[in-house]
Amino acid sequence: MAAPEAAAAAPAPARTGRGGHTHEWLLLALVVAETAYFAYAGSNFFTTGNAGEVARASVEIGLLALALTAVILTGGIDLSVGSLLGLAAVLMGSAHRDLQWPIAAAALVGIGVGVGGGVLNAALVARLGVPPLIVTLGTYSLFRGIAEGFTGGIRNYTDFPPALLFLGQGRLPGGVPAQVPLLVAAAVFFWLLVHRTPIGRGVRAIGFSPEGARFAGIPVARRLSLVYVLSGAMAGLAAVVYAARLGQAKADAGSGYELFAITAVVLGGTSIFGGRGSVHGTLLGLVAVALLQNGLRLSDQPAELAGILTGVLLIGAIGANRLVAERSRA
Amino acid sequence: MTPAAGRYRRELGVAGALVLLLGLLTVIAPAFFGAANLRDLLVANAPVLVAAVGMTLVILARQIDISIGSQFAICGVAAGLLAKTGLPMPLVAAGAVAAGAALGAINGALVAGLGLPAIVVTLATMVVLREGLRWRTEGVWIQDLPERFQWFGLGQAGGRVAIVAAAIVVFAAFAWGLRRLAAGRAVYAAGSDPEAARLVGIHPRRVVFATFVFMGALTGLAAVLTAIQFIDVQTSAGTGLEMKVIAAVVVGGVAISGGRGTLVGTLLGVTLLGTIGPALTFLGTQAYWERALQGAVILLAVSTDALPSLVRRRRGRA
Amino acid sequence: MRRLGVVLGLAVLAAACGGSGGGGAGGGAPAKGGPTVAMMPKNKGNPYFVSCHKGGQEAADQLGVKLLWDGPTETDPAKQNEVVEAWITRGVDVIAVSVENKEAISTVLRKARAKGIKVVTWDADAEKDARDVFVDQATPQGIASVLLDHTSRLLGGKGSFAIITASLTAANQNEWIKNIREQLAAKYPDLKLVDIRPSDDDRKRAFDETQTLLKVHPEVKVIMAIASPAVPGAAEAVRQSGRTDVKVTGLGLPNASKPYLKDGVLDSVVLWNTMDLGYLTVSVANALARGTLKQGKGGLDAGRLGPKDVDGDHIVLGTPFTFTKENVDGFDF
Repeated sequence: MAAPEAAAAAPAPARTGRGGHTHEWLLLALVVAETAYFAYAGSNFFTTGNAGEVARASVEIGLLALALTAVILTGGIDLSVGSLLGLAAVLMGSAHRDLQWPIAAAALVGIGVGVGGGVLNAALVARLGVPPLIVTLGTYSLFRGIAEGFTGGIRNYTDFPPALLFLGQGRLPGGVPAQVPLLVAAAVFFWLLVHRTPIGRGVRAIGFSPEGARFAGIPVARRLSLVYVLSGAMAGLAAVVYAARLGQAKADAGSGYELFAITAVVLGGTSIFGGRGSVHGTLLGLVAVALLQNGLRLSDQPAELAGILTGVLLIGAIGANRLVAERSRA
Repeated sequence: MTPAAGRYRRELGVAGALVLLLGLLTVIAPAFFGAANLRDLLVANAPVLVAAVGMTLVILARQIDISIGSQFAICGVAAGLLAKTGLPMPLVAAGAVAAGAALGAINGALVAGLGLPAIVVTLATMVVLREGLRWRTEGVWIQDLPERFQWFGLGQAGGRVAIVAAAIVVFAAFAWGLRRLAAGRAVYAAGSDPEAARLVGIHPRRVVFATFVFMGALTGLAAVLTAIQFIDVQTSAGTGLEMKVIAAVVVGGVAISGGRGTLVGTLLGVTLLGTIGPALTFLGTQAYWERALQGAVILLAVSTDALPSLVRRRRGRA
Repeated sequence: MRRLGVVLGLAVLAAACGGSGGGGAGGGAPAKGGPTVAMMPKNKGNPYFVSCHKGGQEAADQLGVKLLWDGPTETDPAKQNEVVEAWITRGVDVIAVSVENKEAISTVLRKARAKGIKVVTWDADAEKDARDVFVDQATPQGIASVLLDHTSRLLGGKGSFAIITASLTAANQNEWIKNIREQLAAKYPDLKLVDIRPSDDDRKRAFDETQTLLKVHPEVKVIMAIASPAVPGAAEAVRQSGRTDVKVTGLGLPNASKPYLKDGVLDSVVLWNTMDLGYLTVSVANALARGTLKQGKGGLDAGRLGPKDVDGDHIVLGTPFTFTKENVDGFDF
């Protein structure tokens, strides 16, 4: 999707060190401001208990957003991650309850389903060259539809063993919710992949210009396949965490998660056209939105206000991003 | 393949799929072709077509608008509230269309004026508008509307004709305009190569702004055409409209990268996707498989298009 | 620079709106000025719950209760858990939830109880050990029974009907459908359920599905619409089709149903007084917080509803009520 218009809008060479991290610093300042404000206005906002719960609720979206960062860096998008989460969750539930498999095997089924969905997206985007927006619009319906068909809409898988439920609901020594280390591990993985490996550089190059990347010898189809498969894998992993946290798996699991994840990525400074962005920006974006929603709730504000402010914040973020991009071009 | 057939390859493909589906129905469930059913399907899909015309313009200009569901809800509410003040129906409709145009102008200003990416802008406006509307209305429907609200006061038969006629007029006008007017060609130009367009004197930003305003106005019209089929207004209407309309437009062959596609293709896309649901019911499919089949159809439609070019590429390499 | 402006602007905006925040009380004795009751519907955007809110606020004003009202704006199954977590953190005296997902929410409700917060479920129940009291307006069996009675009467004891439900995954509706199927097999062998179509809580969708249904299954003579937007949608479709041999029944709100009840397309609408449900819930919550809830007959003084019986952990509002053309004018919600 790196069209000539995008090239006109975004800086052609990579950003210099000076304008390079402005967006992330501003985002960090926003997070600090939010924390300070809600510590005053919200009841018990500034407690370890609350921090733990905010972290716990953000893990699933966080996993999706990390993988989406890589996808969006290539100039693509994946709208199907929420639906894939739902499909992975119900198939995991079915493997556990209907096939009587041990929970570890069932969890692997969940992740495997995620990978499978990612492979489908990858095949259509990387091999057939169909635009990612359209492919994932189709799989958004397909995956959710298969989940609904499989369960008849009605079947709800529950009765997960305590071992799984601990992952979603328990705390490790020190008060850290049990699923947070998973997010940390994934964050480290994606940060290294995107910022420290040739694969990551290749992914960015594809975002700037797929043709240019191809001429530079980057195996474009393979890199694209990788990011979509990883996106699917993270959806599968998020499904396991979801089932662990809620203790149930139904066809509507993960509804709307894709938009939340995309919001976090874009807020974090990754350009929707590709080529520019960071994993740490995504994490900051995720924290910014999560704190906003949690803080407003603890300040007795209605849920709608959180939605509205998130939308306003998003516009502010891309506006600021554009300003930064223009300045570092000068 | 003749040059014309090559240019319309996607449209022919979708037409082919439609013929196949209708053929299946003729054999298994000929009741589908009853006059009442066809009429009801026309009326039900007329608003979708109107919105899809707007979306075609936007996508041709290399943009996208995922906020139309929220716009639809607000314009429906506007129509209801205006009707309650006693305004005659033509003014009510005009008011709702104007409200849509205003909402579209907001999107247009952010995208064309500030140069922000359309998908993110419209994601943000979608959320802000929907949450704002819900906060204000708390989900309570607009009720006790004057009698002339339903069917524009034309009665059931007259109203249905009006709805379908409105959709046909909109479609024909924009199809003609895209082809024959300089403004129409400007949309194609701005979408396929903004720099080149600028060089020949077209202002791509103005074109983009205009497409968003038209999108909003046509969404407002679609909202009116839907609202007047009922006696009250549901304030949470239009959920999922954007996905439905975008799917119809891209299945119909409008390229997401801009500059390529026809309104005829959009018409075929709307028809195909609008037929699947009822067709499945006639064919006896369970409701819970419908979404999966819709997704499969979309994927098949957009993939088969790419296969010939894939084959060509492989051959070229060998 | 613009970003700093945005941040400052947000801070100012939030400060303007958030003046009421701060100073939360933990679970335990009511804070001065009355207990804080946090009430959550399944879905904020549904007029059904809006009327419950009104009733709840009425009771709160009478009893000196601080009422918090929040909940999911979409039907995201996970959102209710997050809201309850936030309330536990904030510190409230009572949490009152209309449960969307029984298994999912019970975990977090048990956690609330462990912290000394009283838990009331209303409209739809959680697991028994996750709440102190369940304020019930009708059991799923009772609802199914009344709906089937109406359907059977309209069909003359024998015939085909179809159901328009909310979404395919909606937990309440699925519970009712399960009971309907069981009672069909046991008590109504001559009634046939032909199809179940979703409306996704969208009136237009219910309308479209009903229109198609009438043509695919011309033998269907009753449409049972079991979601509040589906009732007017289905009724309008039947009216427009001119099929005077088809009638509609279901579960919905009186105001939206009134025109269709009057002209006869809609025969009956089953519900209960949702405002009273909200009112009763807050009364119960208040009594729990203050320790004035007693067992047995008349154990709760429910203000304008009079004394209510407390049967262990179960309080019933009354039996399901059927709105008809004759009585619907007496209600406004």
